[in-house]
Amino acid sequence: MSMQNPLARVRGQGSSGGGSHHWRSQRYSALVLLLLTTWILWLGVSLAGADYATASAAMSSPVNAGMAILLAGAVFYHAQLGLQVVIEDYVHIAALEFVLLIFVRFACLVAFLISAIAALKLVLGT
Amino acid sequence: MSTTKRPMSPYMLGPYYKFQITSVLSILNRLTGVFLSVVTAPLLLCWLIALASGEEAFAALSVWLGSILGKLVIAASVFCFSFHMFGGIRHLIWDAGWMLEISQVRSSGWLAIAGSVLLTVVVIGAGL
Repeated sequence: MSMQNPLARVRGQGSSGGGSHHWRSQRYSALVLLLLTTWILWLGVSLAGADYATASAAMSSPVNAGMAILLAGAVFYHAQLGLQVVIEDYVHIAALEFVLLIFVRFACLVAFLISAIAALKLVLGT
Repeated sequence: MSTTKRPMSPYMLGPYYKFQITSVLSILNRLTGVFLSVVTAPLLLCWLIALASGEEAFAALSVWLGSILGKLVIAASVFCFSFHMFGGIRHLIWDAGWMLEISQVRSSGWLAIAGSVLLTVVVIGAGL
């Protein structure tokens, strides 16, 4: 078995077989966030200082619930990709870097799941 | 020669590299991104959890959000969002291969700073 990658594969994509995947994912999620964050700005401004009844009425709308779940997915995906790059660039202790990378992935996944469950609970009722 | 004592990123800025609008905006784009990930997104999540948990939890969070610290965190979140958004738009434009002349990079940088201050003022003003 050769330890070297065939030149054809390196020319195409690099040793990982998908060198631009992370970079492209970050850009695509950024484009999605450009659209979705206008919704959260609007919601945040319209619900600033709102009481429980007003806020829960707003989040019982299927449109707002759907937007909240989409936004949470895009936000925590983009956050995971961004934090990953920051950790890879600035954490120079290999073991700590590994632990942080796993933690960030796990935390972002859990955060998305909780957001989705909370939004569903608000729209479907208890 | 010791290889372990070499200066490493991000400690190159300042003593080794001169601060300029390109590098300062680059590091601020990362810092605002980290703030949004570690403070703003979890805060929005807390709001959703509090709302789903019931009136008592929501009232407690509302009291905190109305405090000086809460207002500061909200203001910082709006600013970091605006800054990161305009910084991100610059990156997307560069990725398309546009505006890459150094003079254009400088002017789009100042435009992004002005835009983020303006958007922050507009959003906070609208929420008051």
